[in-house]
Amino acid sequence: MEHQNFSYDNKIVKYFAYATITWGIVAFIVGLLIALQLSFPSLNFGIEFTSFGRLRPLHTNAAIFAFVGNAIFTGVYYSMQRLLKTRMFSDLLSKIHFWGWQLIIVAAALTLVLGITTSKEYAELEWPIDILITIVWVIFGWNMTGTMIKRRVKHLYVAIWFYIATFVTVAVLHVVNSFELPVSLFKSYSAFAGVQDALVQWWYGHNAVAFFLTTPFLGLMYYFLPKAANRPIYSYRLSILHFWALIFLYIWAGPHHLLYQSLPDWAQTLGVVFSLMLLAPSWGGMVNGLLTLRGAWDKVRDSALLKFMVVAVTAYGMSTFEGPMLSLKNVNAISHFTDWTIAHVHIGVLGWNGFLTFGMLYWLYPKLWKTKLYSEKLANAHFWIATLGMLFYVVPLYWAAITQSLMWKEFTADGFLAYPNFLETVTQIMPMYYTRVFGGTLYLIGAIMMVYNLVKTAKAGSFVDNEETSAPALESQPKKRIFGEKSHEWLERKPVAFTIWALVVILVGGAVEIIPMILVKSNIPTIENVKPYTPLELQGRDVYISEGCVSCHSQMVRPFRSETVRYGEYSKAGEFVYDHPFLWGSRRTGPDLQREGVVSGPMYKSVSWHYNHLMDPQKMNIQSIMPKYPWLAEKDIDLDLTAGKIRVMQKLGVPYPDGYDTKANDDLLQQAKGISDELRTSGINIEPSKEIVALIAYLERLGRDITPPAPAKEDVVVEATTLNVDVPADDSSIASGSEVFNKNCVACHGAKGQGNAVGPNLSDKYWLNGGSNSDIYTVIADGVPAKGMQSWKKQLSEDQMLQVTAYIISIQGSNPDGAKDPQGELYE
Amino acid sequence: MSKNNTEEVKYDGKPMEHEFDGIKELNNPPPPWLMYMFYITVGISIIYWIYYHVSGAGDLQEAEYLNEMKQAEKDISKNVKTIEIVLLNDEASIAAGEALFTEKGCTACHGKHGEGNAIGPNLTDNYWLHGADVKSVFNVVKNGVPTKGMTPFKGQLSDDKILQLSSFVLLKLKGSNPENPKDPQGVLVN
Repeated sequence: MEHQNFSYDNKIVKYFAYATITWGIVAFIVGLLIALQLSFPSLNFGIEFTSFGRLRPLHTNAAIFAFVGNAIFTGVYYSMQRLLKTRMFSDLLSKIHFWGWQLIIVAAALTLVLGITTSKEYAELEWPIDILITIVWVIFGWNMTGTMIKRRVKHLYVAIWFYIATFVTVAVLHVVNSFELPVSLFKSYSAFAGVQDALVQWWYGHNAVAFFLTTPFLGLMYYFLPKAANRPIYSYRLSILHFWALIFLYIWAGPHHLLYQSLPDWAQTLGVVFSLMLLAPSWGGMVNGLLTLRGAWDKVRDSALLKFMVVAVTAYGMSTFEGPMLSLKNVNAISHFTDWTIAHVHIGVLGWNGFLTFGMLYWLYPKLWKTKLYSEKLANAHFWIATLGMLFYVVPLYWAAITQSLMWKEFTADGFLAYPNFLETVTQIMPMYYTRVFGGTLYLIGAIMMVYNLVKTAKAGSFVDNEETSAPALESQPKKRIFGEKSHEWLERKPVAFTIWALVVILVGGAVEIIPMILVKSNIPTIENVKPYTPLELQGRDVYISEGCVSCHSQMVRPFRSETVRYGEYSKAGEFVYDHPFLWGSRRTGPDLQREGVVSGPMYKSVSWHYNHLMDPQKMNIQSIMPKYPWLAEKDIDLDLTAGKIRVMQKLGVPYPDGYDTKANDDLLQQAKGISDELRTSGINIEPSKEIVALIAYLERLGRDITPPAPAKEDVVVEATTLNVDVPADDSSIASGSEVFNKNCVACHGAKGQGNAVGPNLSDKYWLNGGSNSDIYTVIADGVPAKGMQSWKKQLSEDQMLQVTAYIISIQGSNPDGAKDPQGELYE
Repeated sequence: MSKNNTEEVKYDGKPMEHEFDGIKELNNPPPPWLMYMFYITVGISIIYWIYYHVSGAGDLQEAEYLNEMKQAEKDISKNVKTIEIVLLNDEASIAAGEALFTEKGCTACHGKHGEGNAIGPNLTDNYWLHGADVKSVFNVVKNGVPTKGMTPFKGQLSDDKILQLSSFVLLKLKGSNPENPKDPQGVLVN
């Protein structure tokens, strides 16, 4: 057999290792900062670039794509060359991959702090970066496939199977979830809306966990664990079983992020049962890893890197047990929207990804620099401090989660929420937040100790860019199965066929869930009242997206008594049909905002409240942990983008009238002026063109479109009591009232009070704001600003207002021509 | 380059023929408990699906919600007392109302002593926006004046507590003379 000489490219491994360490430290520091912000809101510094809403996606992206991503590439580039006995297919592609990936990370960091985001979790980056990711990912796949094709080893080892699954699945997930239409270079709208967008996002989001944080790391485990422990893999058979079961089942589980939400029941059930079935295949990896260590446990005691790996695999086992449990609807009802999810993912990332990466680096550095680790003792110290750090991080958060969730759900015997003020439930868990900060600090200190240890190791050794080696050439393989060859063995020597099979297997679940959700209409029952956002509200929504409000506020009232009492009617699928993207959120650090704009609801706040609260939440509630947003009162709404936004929405099927894009800014300014005027009545002077006005308009609109069904009888005790308003009944007063009415009111209520497109009918017996004398008088005097009725007490004297009231009462039941359909409740 | 797996270790079986960069593989059967765990989860999943989506025996989320609300209504109706809306003169009630005034954050908008501030009106003078009789005040506290920023407290306080609070406002705050009162708003009463 011909023996061929070649070299391994170690330089690319070194580059990725440097990047892993650097971004790891960055991710931990940003994580620590945002944890501190939740404890001490003044650490948001009152400036936009460092506010929690913008830094939170920076932290998650840095941890997942920068730290874990580079760790994957470090391990893949090292192990793949050795497992296939060849140099990477192309040094150039390797370099483009490396620099391209770092460019993506830098672009991500810059755009996220600038508030350029799509708001979809772990897919926040805007479309130009999405395209860049696609290109770099394809280059990675191309390089990988080329390497497999020119290999010198007949079969692909199980680690490589996992790398293949990672490559194809991440490609599919990223491309589909990034379907979006650009408005400008830095702004796009998701092609999907509402329920569909949520399903696609969490199909992506869940499988980002599966195929970015899990499968590549299982691949790394299958290489580095047996290498470091010097033991054979426990079971080849188990590898095959758990590999295929895992990648097939994982992709279905996404809907478990949307339990009890506005997703059709069938899709939720699929999410539940596939998560449950995922348990054993996930544990297959843990079992194979831990049983591989049989006979090597004595080494674990002494070796820091093996300890890291053992805890990593154990953390993986814990996370993958917890995952299916959290997917049970009754558990999810308690855990979702709380810190439980945060604790769960940190077991995964700090424990599984972090510890395996640390173990891998401690193993790699001495190998690459041809020396011994600088200090085994320091590495052991790192292990213990990181383990403690992780415990101090997650245990308090589990506690916080259960505490807060139970507080949200508790009722008194009289039927009231025991903690109606959301903030009480936040204040209660503050001590746990401080402990979490302590845990995160320990973890960071450990990582810094590792950096020191690794730098010292590298300094003591000498790095060889190209490691010379040799291996026998691979004889040409028959395409067909050889007699007696098992089918999987055959597949293991056919990289392209293997890749295609993996692709087919992962496509099934997504297709079964997503295609019907988009094609079958009954999945999202239409609600007629739901109307597109006004241009101002749309701009306000984009401010909401840009500031990352969705990081802390959900817009999804689940059908639980504890939520409908606290927030208002539960969310319906049909409410979100114009929401590109959806903003349901995943964590309630603050209260849900879905019913924020429902005037009769428990969440409603006036425009001046919103203004004061956004400017300085602590002024309204001293214990609030929300950042201040003073820049919203300084920055102007980007009016140049309005027309483009409307056109893109139209292309996505939002029914704005033809040609509305050109008029949109007129409506925008008019609505903004209304809000600005209303704020002025509370002594707040703000120009209508400011972002805060748009955001308030959006908040005031939230959840308004559906009229909730009449609430259960609450007024068992009192009739709505009346203000004593002495309305005159004499003809002359009515005549004067009629005059005032003709001068001021007909524009919106019609010449005979019959109502028109703007205002309601005043000549029937149905009233939106009550039909008693005092109700009518109050509406005239104070207005219903939220609905467009202005306040008249500054323009009209009290007598005049009484006269108008008298006139309106006199036309009750007059039944004029062209009367508008009744609105509101019958009053007699 | 590697000298892995060269030591003599007792394995369950022979390593397989293939070897990857020195990594050998055994071919032990997967642990039976793991396989059973898988079969059981598949079984549960099938039963789960049938229970909720084929037999119709299980309540889907909307039905579940309606049941929860029905049950709650039943539970509460046992506890709800009907009260008459009249001023409570006794000291205990007024003290309770005073405690609620602070506890429920009324002070944030109406000032520490009901004198009013930038947000809410003065409660100590004789000018009232929504009436100064006990029923009006009760109603304002209970149902709020949402467009003006007054929170409805019906979801937070039972009727008897709202009445205590209203009595405190009318009997103790109204007519008191705190410092820095806000200018009068509304209609003169009495």
